[in-house]
Amino acid sequence: MPPLETTIDPITKAKTTAVNGSLIEARGISKHFGDLHVLDNIDFALSPSEVVCVIGPSGSGKSTLLRCLAFLEPYDDGNVYIHGQLLGYEQRGGMRIRASEKAIDRVRAPLGMVFQHFHLWPHRTALQNVTEALRLVQGLSRREADREGMAMLKRVGLFDRAHHYPASLSGGQKQRVAIARALAMKPEVMLFDEPTSALDPELVGEVLAVMKQLASDGMTMAIVTHEMGFAANVADRVVFMDEGRIVESGKPETLFRRPASERLSQFLNTWRERALT
Amino acid sequence: MFDFQLLFEMRGLILQGLWNTVWICFLGCLVALGLGLVLASLRLSSPRLVGPLVATYIELCRGIPLLVILFLLYYGGPSIGLRLSAEIAGLVGIGLYGAGYFAEIYRGGFLSIPQGQLEAARMLGISRLNILRRIQIPQMLQLIVPPSTNQLIILVKESALLSVISVDDLTKNATAMVNETFAVIEPYITVALLYWLIIETIARGGYALEKRLAQRSRMPTPSSSDTAGATHATS
Amino acid sequence: MFEILIDNYPVLLRGLTFTLIVSLSAIALGMLLGMTLAFALTSRFATVRWLAGGYRSFWRGTPILLQLLLVYYLLPEFGLNIPPLPAAILTLTLNTAAFQSEIFRSGIAHIPQGQIEAARMVGMHHWDIRRRIVVPQVFRLTLPPLTNEVITILKNSSLISVISVTELMRTSEQIASRTFQPLETYLVAALLYLAVNLLLARISAYLERHMKGGLAAE
Repeated sequence: MPPLETTIDPITKAKTTAVNGSLIEARGISKHFGDLHVLDNIDFALSPSEVVCVIGPSGSGKSTLLRCLAFLEPYDDGNVYIHGQLLGYEQRGGMRIRASEKAIDRVRAPLGMVFQHFHLWPHRTALQNVTEALRLVQGLSRREADREGMAMLKRVGLFDRAHHYPASLSGGQKQRVAIARALAMKPEVMLFDEPTSALDPELVGEVLAVMKQLASDGMTMAIVTHEMGFAANVADRVVFMDEGRIVESGKPETLFRRPASERLSQFLNTWRERALT
Repeated sequence: MFDFQLLFEMRGLILQGLWNTVWICFLGCLVALGLGLVLASLRLSSPRLVGPLVATYIELCRGIPLLVILFLLYYGGPSIGLRLSAEIAGLVGIGLYGAGYFAEIYRGGFLSIPQGQLEAARMLGISRLNILRRIQIPQMLQLIVPPSTNQLIILVKESALLSVISVDDLTKNATAMVNETFAVIEPYITVALLYWLIIETIARGGYALEKRLAQRSRMPTPSSSDTAGATHATS
Repeated sequence: MFEILIDNYPVLLRGLTFTLIVSLSAIALGMLLGMTLAFALTSRFATVRWLAGGYRSFWRGTPILLQLLLVYYLLPEFGLNIPPLPAAILTLTLNTAAFQSEIFRSGIAHIPQGQIEAARMVGMHHWDIRRRIVVPQVFRLTLPPLTNEVITILKNSSLISVISVTELMRTSEQIASRTFQPLETYLVAALLYLAVNLLLARISAYLERHMKGGLAAE
């Protein structure tokens, strides 16, 4: 095993002990495919109204971390708690076994997720994408669901696109519908997995604007992103990952101005060079 | 040259053949469609136990000629106490044989839906059954109609083999007419046209269903996504 | 069941050989005709397209057993007395050519137009482009559907037993009527067909893996 990174963030460390204050908390989670450690003993926590951006080179495990927090990927070791409840597994007779789908759904109900490739359902209109879960999961009547859905679309600025099918929406509009779809279930935490990476550059702004608004409304958010400007402006905390570990984490101004590790300064340099050209 | 008088005299044989081909194919295809769905869901839902068995079954269907399956059922069946009439053996044969092909078609339909769409649904807490009902089936239905239509047509054509195990279908009765009247062209051409008519009906039906499904969900069909997208954008 | 196999393996082997000879010669001949038809289907001349389309409709739209009976009983009407074996090969060839033409047509459509324009720009002749640029790629592009067609023809070859060509199916019938063990005999036949078809699928998968290099991945 390679030597531990020199900087271990004091904030993350503090968080690992403060279980009760966290909405979502990962303690020592690992995930490997064969010999490859995609996640290596990660601690991560989100307090209410906190906005955390996760950055790092591709393949650093940041998307996997987010997917493990939602149990879309099962993690191998460690624990993920949501409101203090273990996600994905249960203890039975000293053994850890995978929880039932129902139990998983119940524990992760406070989470909403937005994906890089939107994953809208193509056979449903924008409005129907938003109302589907309201009707199926919350059992709202069609009228109630439609009213709620329209309110959500209004919030992301797509009131006038409600009856369009995904195929006739731009990438930015699709992603905003996906955000509205997740918001409709009134999540306490929103997870964003590279929400702007699949978008044309001119469409990135509209999605980031919606996310910024959400942040200022007090939503708790974890965002895997390559948008350094957004991270610097909006995040309360930035986490830098590389090779399956958290290398550094802290306030954005500290992290971006005075990176403590060699790897982060390298990463930021590469990014700056690319931004300039 | 084409003797219509002769056809008129032989109308009994032609109609009997047509009727037998139609009802046996219809019921056989129903069995194939239903059993195929069961096989496909078994294969996808329990990959450890039943999955490989179903996969083997599908390989058998694809690797063994229908004629051999029919002979096994009709001539081989009695040695294990399975006495089927030729018609029922034909019906069962088409059903068992077609099911393997339909299972693959359905599986392709299920797998064509991006995993992410299902993850998005899971994250919203939508149950497995509702995901199947509201997200998977509506989308895959459109995708599987064209290959299913194709497979139905193949089964109807293969049903001509039933004549070999002495079912009085179109092909068998055509040969009977040839033997009786020594005219070759009229019986075979007429029967070929009747097969073509059945197949054309299935093809048209499949096409109409495909269009109706596309219209109902108003989702752009895979082949015309650009044009359909454009119409929505301007509406 | 194994008794049947052991007692009769020389005749079964002979039947299997016939099955293979008939199927493979039909596939090879059908390939030539099918490729020609594919070009005819995309011809500049409407009449050629129309004729090729009519041919394809008939041979794809009627049962192959019926086609076999037509060829076998109709040709003598025109004074062409044709023995069962050539009649069988002829029918399977004419049938598979129609299916292969459609496979090749779609394969040709998948070759990037830019390649053909590039060839034209360096002054290659119409037929040279087809021969040296299009045809070699079409085979690689269409290998999976072609394999399916080979397997289909192999399975369909069982029905030429009806006009008493002693291939595998006919041989099995003879064994079954001699031994009074139809179940066991036809199971052996099923296994032999299955073995050949699985082998074909394997070979095709191997070829597909090893021909990827140098193919226009578009």
